[in-house]
Amino acid sequence: MKPGRLLAWGGLLAVVWLARGLILPALLAAALAYVLGPAVAWADSMAIRRSVAVGVLYAATIAVLIVAGFLLGPSMFTEAAALMDRLPTLARQIDVGLDALVRELAESIPGVRRLLPEGGYWVERFVLSRFPSEPGAVFEHMGHIFLLAILVPFFAFFLLRDMHRFIAVAMDRLPPQHVETSVAVWRELNGVVGRYIRGLVLDGLVVGVLAAVGLWAVGVPYPLLLGGFAGLANAVPFVGPLLSAAAAGLVVVLTPGLGLAGVGRVILLFLAIKVLDDTIIQPFTIGRSVHLHPALLLGSVVVGNHALGVLGMVVAVPVATVLQETARLLLEHRRVLARRDSRPPPERLLV
Amino acid sequence: MLEQRLPRWLTWAGDPERARRAPFLARSPLFAGLPRRLLARLATRFFEKAYRPGDIVFYEGDPGRALFVVIEGAVEITQARPEGEYVLVTLGPGDAFGELALIDDYPRSATARVATLGRLLILYKSDFDALMEGNPRIAVVVMRNLSRLLAIYARRNPVLVGEPGPRPEKIGPP
Repeated sequence: MKPGRLLAWGGLLAVVWLARGLILPALLAAALAYVLGPAVAWADSMAIRRSVAVGVLYAATIAVLIVAGFLLGPSMFTEAAALMDRLPTLARQIDVGLDALVRELAESIPGVRRLLPEGGYWVERFVLSRFPSEPGAVFEHMGHIFLLAILVPFFAFFLLRDMHRFIAVAMDRLPPQHVETSVAVWRELNGVVGRYIRGLVLDGLVVGVLAAVGLWAVGVPYPLLLGGFAGLANAVPFVGPLLSAAAAGLVVVLTPGLGLAGVGRVILLFLAIKVLDDTIIQPFTIGRSVHLHPALLLGSVVVGNHALGVLGMVVAVPVATVLQETARLLLEHRRVLARRDSRPPPERLLV
Repeated sequence: MLEQRLPRWLTWAGDPERARRAPFLARSPLFAGLPRRLLARLATRFFEKAYRPGDIVFYEGDPGRALFVVIEGAVEITQARPEGEYVLVTLGPGDAFGELALIDDYPRSATARVATLGRLLILYKSDFDALMEGNPRIAVVVMRNLSRLLAIYARRNPVLVGEPGPRPEKIGPP
């Protein structure tokens, strides 16, 4: 490789490293662009300028968010404030329960005591460590969220408005005889990822609403927060639904008056949501965009968790799907080429 | 197109670049009979690329993955023969080629080379399939047009696909 090109690649890598903080906003912006993409495509079919279409779409989305904020915001804020106040007490209650359990276990298995010494207050320490205590840290935390809230729509706006220009530039730079195959592969992968992301968002919305309404109906506290959490956690295969059910179950256990019957109702509710999700909602929303074998699906989630934590678990499925589709397309390409090499092309009337 | 679909007071929001595609496609025999609404939707799925004279669009034997429509310039469809390269047909603005890629994944049966500076619209099979899933009308109209074209060529040159026989002197769109 020429020194100039090596230097350019080195410079590019350095810029990427310096801008690594933008990777998460860029990924979220891409996801948002995929979600809003069909509306922009519709505007395209009406021959409306993209900047106008995206601007109107943003205005409509902001209006919907404002209305949703007015309708749900006060209740969610009240729930969040109440939960924040109660969280240390809840964590302490869990620790006390755990201590009692460890004491009982230690009578038959003394080794347990070494693993979980009494009075460790693990849950309380874990919960408190999640929240910034210093005013500076609180501002930093808020700053990150604010920056994300600004950067994600900002990047998504330009992705939606200018993506066709980026594609045109890339296509003009590709060697003409490779345009057909390389762009065809990209189009297929893009279609799979787009359908998956849109399906995931719709699926999360439906599951979140079902969970919130169901929890409210069975009298569990914080139904909006727990429903919202269920909708978000639903993006993580296998683990997400379990976590949201466990969170709701824990709230029921620690709420006086709900008892074991409440736990039973929550388990039944989340089971029903899971069955509905697997049989009706997911086939309708995500559909046939993901054809991963369950073992591969689970494996990708585990690998994603090891690599990038929660974000890794969320992106594991689309990444694994893209790799699988790429392999399938390459094999198909080889099969077509083999067909060409193995026998003369049949007489054709059209090219 | 744009003026017909958007109210006059909204014409400022129109994209003339995109508005020109749909009427252009309407002139192609492959998309004849598609209603304006579906034609406009189809037009958004096309990519546009500039080609220089001598650029190869695809080689004979390459996997077929897209349909091409000539906007500007000329494209030669050629076939390698023992006696040398044979130009089957030269296509101009409005002509489409590579249609069979929308039906099957057989290798290309001829080479397409750009003869003069030009621009092509490209429709990928995956995009066409995705569009058909939501709009079976597009599939019906395009496939009917394609069948008509095939019937015209078959009557002109009675050679069945895959059947050994004499090669036609010249094949291609009428």
